[in-house]
Amino acid sequence: MQQADLTALSLTLQLAGLSTVLLLLLGTPLAWWLARTRSRVRPLVEALVALPLVLPPTVLGFYLLILLSPNGPVGATLQALGLPGLAFSFSGLVTGSVIYSLPFVVQPLQNAFVSLGNRPLEVAATLGAGPLSRFLHVVLPLSRLGYLSAAVLGFAHTLGEFGVVLMIGGNIPGETQVVSIAIYEHVEALAYSQAHVLAGLLLGVSFVVLLAVNLANRRARLTGLL
Amino acid sequence: MIELNCKLEHTDFTLDVGCTLPGRGVTVLFGPSGSGKTSLLRSIAGLERLVGGRVVVNGEVWQDAGFRLPVHRRSVGYVFQQAGLFPHLSVRENLLFGARHRSGTGLDVAPVVETLGLATLLSRGVRGLSGGEQQRVALGRALLSRPRLLLLDEPLAALDVGSKSMLIPFLENALHLLDIPAIYVTHSPDELVRLADHVVVMEQGRVVTGGPLVEVFSDIATPLNRLDDAFSVLPGRLLKGQLPGLSAVQTGGGNVFHVPLTNHKRHQAVRLKIQARDVSLCLEKTEKSSILNILPAIVEQVSEVSSSGGCTVKLDLNGDRLLARISAYSRQQLAIETGSCLYAQVKAVALLQGSEISPPAE
Repeated sequence: MQQADLTALSLTLQLAGLSTVLLLLLGTPLAWWLARTRSRVRPLVEALVALPLVLPPTVLGFYLLILLSPNGPVGATLQALGLPGLAFSFSGLVTGSVIYSLPFVVQPLQNAFVSLGNRPLEVAATLGAGPLSRFLHVVLPLSRLGYLSAAVLGFAHTLGEFGVVLMIGGNIPGETQVVSIAIYEHVEALAYSQAHVLAGLLLGVSFVVLLAVNLANRRARLTGLL
Repeated sequence: MIELNCKLEHTDFTLDVGCTLPGRGVTVLFGPSGSGKTSLLRSIAGLERLVGGRVVVNGEVWQDAGFRLPVHRRSVGYVFQQAGLFPHLSVRENLLFGARHRSGTGLDVAPVVETLGLATLLSRGVRGLSGGEQQRVALGRALLSRPRLLLLDEPLAALDVGSKSMLIPFLENALHLLDIPAIYVTHSPDELVRLADHVVVMEQGRVVTGGPLVEVFSDIATPLNRLDDAFSVLPGRLLKGQLPGLSAVQTGGGNVFHVPLTNHKRHQAVRLKIQARDVSLCLEKTEKSSILNILPAIVEQVSEVSSSGGCTVKLDLNGDRLLARISAYSRQQLAIETGSCLYAQVKAVALLQGSEISPPAE
């Protein structure tokens, strides 16, 4: 494997890892709210969260590019504050990935929180557990399969990102060139053997990760932990 | 003393309760399904968000105008109808969950484990436990959470008959392990008679009547006592059996009731539950009768005739109060009036174990 491919691979893993952590942090309160609110705006928010499921990534990437470019509302604000711009940067890729993979994290978490129900929380409250303790000692352990699914789906989905990255990140080696784009480049250059290495790697990793999650779920169900 | 003033409006149900419960002993909230017992219990614990009013428990204000202590800051031990054990924790960890969150002194684990027979379950997960075992763990968990008030919402209702009768003795012992008041919700007359010191009768979101168990179930004004399944409760102690094949119970008024043979210990406190329709009245003492319990009585009060054509007669048996349910026709035939002297024939007596009724704290 060439040095450039290794750089792309490492960048991809960093992007997916960082995005997953951010997604879990942001997704938890959002999923919690969606699972428990009776607000009338809930369907609206749910539809917004689910948008990346149906939208072509290029459409999402296009709007993000408009937003993040130095003339766009977000880009201009960042510039006015003296912060680096997001377009064509790693931070921009992370921002795009978080939005792009949001439904893959929020939906499993939301399902886990809904199936948890109210009773364990009521029981914990009558036993003196405050909100934080209820979350740490009851919600988290009882939703851990939901978290596992959310993390794996978020990670795997970010790993395969192409359209959004191309639109807002371009193809800067070491900065925004991820594996999926490197593969595209190799194919364009008719370097099929190099494309094979990267494509096979991505295929293998994705398959193994999903298999591991399914096995974990199965084991949990068999041992009655679900 | 527990001061309650709770108002709760749901679309199809209104709870409106203002009452004072004694600060010790077991108070049973009794009434048909949908009468608001559970809503009231949840309101006391703070689990009903929309409830308005005032909740003061032995001097501690839990709720008042513009003030609501959150659930986890109210020192309750709550036992739900479904045990609600945490599936990710072992029995021991479930038991200790509450003590971990509340400071102060509480019961030691050992006596609770012993009283509830949990020793062999401690290291197990909660999944394989039977319904009765789960409810025992839930009870222990509530007791160990350093509560100042125990709230029990039909803890036996989800169990089959066998588990129920096995759990009741545990429940009785558990309720007396801590010297704190308990509020127990049920619609089962047997649980009521066995466990209650005091009773609050609820109907359609309101309190109909309340007071010491024996008084409420001998007062003709209590709506339940004007129905065909009215009953009275007589506390007493077991005597040495006086007739072959039978046990005997002496009540507070000194009357001796012969009951089917039991293996309860002598002098043990028990409660007799007597259905009003199992009490018939006659003007002369019949000598030759299969009925064992025939006792002289004076009529204290007679109720109005109900829609079913019956009326309830309150009898004074040397201080014991007993209700009899007879037809309006018989009442007329026998010319039963307040002050009539006659004999009460008691066809059936249910003996329920129970503790001595504890007096309310002043």
